Amino acid sequence: MNSWSLKGALQKAKDIIVGPIIAIALALLLAGILIYFSGYEPLAAYGALFKGSVGNINSLAVTGVRMTPLLLGGLAVAMSFSCGVSNIGIEGQLYLGAVGATIVGLMPLPVPQWLHLLLVLAAGFVFGALWATVPGYLYAYKGVNEVVLTLMLNYVAIYLVSYLTNTVYGPLGEKGASYSQSPELVSTARLPILLKGSSLHVGLLVGIVLAIALYIFMNHTSSGFRLRMVGFNPHAAEYAGIPMERTRMQIMLLSGGLAGIAGASEVAGLFHRLYANFSPGYGFDAIAVSLLAGNNPLAVILSSAFYGALRAGATRMQQVIGIEVSIVFIIQAFTILFVTAGTVLSHRPSVIKKLFRFSKKSPAEGRG
Amino acid sequence: MHGNLIFILDWLAASIRYAAPVALASVGSVYSERSGIFNIGIEGMMLIGAFFGILGSYYTDSVLVGVMAAMLAGLLCSLIHAYMSVTLSANQIISGQAINLLAVGITNFLNRALLGHLSGVRVPGFAVIKIPLLHKIPIVGQLFFQQTAHVYLAYLIPIIGAWILYRTTWGLNVRAAGEHPQAVRSAGLSVERIRYATIALSGLMAGLGGAAVSLGEVRIFTQEMTGGRGFVVLAAIVVGKWNPALTGLACLLFGGASALQTRAQTLGALDIIPHQFYNMLPYLLTCAALAGFVGRTVQPEKLGEPYDPEQD
Repeated sequence: MNSWSLKGALQKAKDIIVGPIIAIALALLLAGILIYFSGYEPLAAYGALFKGSVGNINSLAVTGVRMTPLLLGGLAVAMSFSCGVSNIGIEGQLYLGAVGATIVGLMPLPVPQWLHLLLVLAAGFVFGALWATVPGYLYAYKGVNEVVLTLMLNYVAIYLVSYLTNTVYGPLGEKGASYSQSPELVSTARLPILLKGSSLHVGLLVGIVLAIALYIFMNHTSSGFRLRMVGFNPHAAEYAGIPMERTRMQIMLLSGGLAGIAGASEVAGLFHRLYANFSPGYGFDAIAVSLLAGNNPLAVILSSAFYGALRAGATRMQQVIGIEVSIVFIIQAFTILFVTAGTVLSHRPSVIKKLFRFSKKSPAEGRG
Repeated sequence: MHGNLIFILDWLAASIRYAAPVALASVGSVYSERSGIFNIGIEGMMLIGAFFGILGSYYTDSVLVGVMAAMLAGLLCSLIHAYMSVTLSANQIISGQAINLLAVGITNFLNRALLGHLSGVRVPGFAVIKIPLLHKIPIVGQLFFQQTAHVYLAYLIPIIGAWILYRTTWGLNVRAAGEHPQAVRSAGLSVERIRYATIALSGLMAGLGGAAVSLGEVRIFTQEMTGGRGFVVLAAIVVGKWNPALTGLACLLFGGASALQTRAQTLGALDIIPHQFYNMLPYLLTCAALAGFVGRTVQPEKLGEPYDPEQD
C-alpha cells in the first residue's frame, strides 16, 4: 500500500475508471433505445442533455450545484461502505446536519465570517453524527441490523424537520410564511458564491477538499487502515486486537457527520434557510454515486460530477425535447447494475462461460 | 349511531385499506428475508406492479389481466435482484436501490408515453365483494366483509404463508437457507435455488401488492403512488418478527398509525401533538422493535450475506 509508483497509480486509476465508463456507455445505449422507441431522437436528446450540463459556463455551474450534495453524501457512503458498514441513513443524517447548520446560522455571532461558516459546517457534522449515534450504538454494541435501523430513521428525520420548520408551531419555523421554512440565515453564515450570477457556492470546494482528505486518511494513515480492516477482514481485525465495537461506532459517526455536512452545505450555500423536504433523495442517490466510484473518495468527485450533470442536463432535455426527467433514474439504475455486475465479473473472468450457472465462488467484495 | 363509534369504524376501515396491499407484499419479502436475502427494492417492485396493473387493466378491460401483468412485472424485477444478489453475490442493498430507481424512472417514463392521454380516466379495478351472511353481522360485517377482493386475499395469504413456512418441508428449507446454509447444502439442496425461489415470490407478491394499491382504490396511476409502502413492508417484517402472519398484523398496526394521523385533526389531537409525530410513529416503533424494546427480535442469522459454499 505504501510502495507508491507512477505505474501502479496509473494502473489503479485505470482499474477504477474503465469499468464505470463501460457501464455508463451501456446504460446510455439502453436508455437511448428506450428513447427511440418512445418516438424521440436519442442523439438530439443526449445533445440537449450534454448542452444542459456542460455546454456553457452557466450549465457547468448548475452541474456544480447539483453535484455538491451528491459529492458530500457520496463521501459519507464511501466512508461507511468501504468499512463494511451499510449506513443507508444518509438522507436522515443530511436533514439533521441541515438543522444544526440552521441553528448556528440563525445566530448573529460576533465572529468573522470564516469562523461563523466553520461553525455552521461543524454544527452540520455534529448533528449528522448525533443522528447516527443511536443506530451506531445499537449496531456496534448490540448487533442490531443497521440497514433497517438507519433506513427507518430517515423518515423520522424528514418528519422532524417538517415539524421544526412548521410556520405555526415549529421552533425553527418562520411565522406566517406560506411554506414550511426557517427564517433566512444571517449574512455571515452564508457560503460565498464561486461564480457571479450563478448559485455555485463554496460547498463544492468543501466537498473536493474533504474527498482528498478522506482519501489520504483512509489509504495512508494507520487509523484509516484500522477502520477499513474491520470491513474487509473482520476476523483478522479482531485477531489483531482492534476493538470492533468502538471502531464500528466510529465509522458510523464519521459517516453520519459527513452526511451532516452535505445538509449544512445545502442550507448555508444554496437555500440560505431550512426548508421542509428540501432534499429530493440526495441521501439515496449518494449510494449510487459512491458505488459508481467503487467507494473511493477521489473517484466520488468524478461520479458525483456525472450524476450532477445528468440531473442538470435532464431539465434541459425535458424543456427542449420533451422527454421525462425520470429517464435519468433509468440511466442511473442501469449504471449501478452494470457497474456492480462488471466489478464481480471482472474478478471472475471464467464466469462469462458459465454466466447462467449458479455461482461456485463468492467474490472478494461481499456485503458492504 | 354514536359519533365516536362512527369515527372508530371509519378509522379501522381506513387502516385495513392501507394495510392490505402492504400485507400482500410483505408475505413474499418475509420468505426472501428468511432465506437470507434482503430486498430494499420492494418499494420499486410495488411501484412497477401498481403501474402495470393499471396498464394491463386499461388495455384489456380486465382486472385479472391487470393483476397478472403486475405480478409478472414484479417477478421480472425480482429476477434482476436474484441474479445480482445470488448468482453474482453482489451487495444486496445496492441492487435493491437500483431497482427502486429503475422503477421510478420506468413508471414515470412509460406512464407519460403510454397513458399520458388518459388524464384521470379510471380503469376497471377491484370490485367490492360482500361475503354472504357474514357481511350482515352488525359492525364487524360492515368492516371486514364488505371489502374489495384484494383485502380478502390479504386476510388469507399471510396465514397460508405462515403455514407453509412452519409446517412444510419447503418452508423448513427456506428457514434453513437463512440460518444454516451449509446444512442445506449438506442435505444435497441448492441454497441458490431456494433463494431464487423466495426472491421470485417476493417479486410476485410485491407486484400483487402494487396492483392492490392502484387497482384497489384510485384506479389511476400517479407518480410514485406507492409512497414508501415498500419501506413499511421492511418495517412490518421486523415488528412481525419474520413470521408471515404476525407481519400481516404488523401491517395492520402501521395502517392504523397511518390512518390515525389523517384523522387526528377531527379528534383535536393535533393541538396537543403535531401530526408529524404521528407520522414518525411506525418508524420509531420499528426501531424500538429492532432494539429489542418490543419483545425479543432475532433476525435470520445470514440475512444480507451472500452464500459462499467454500467458506464452510
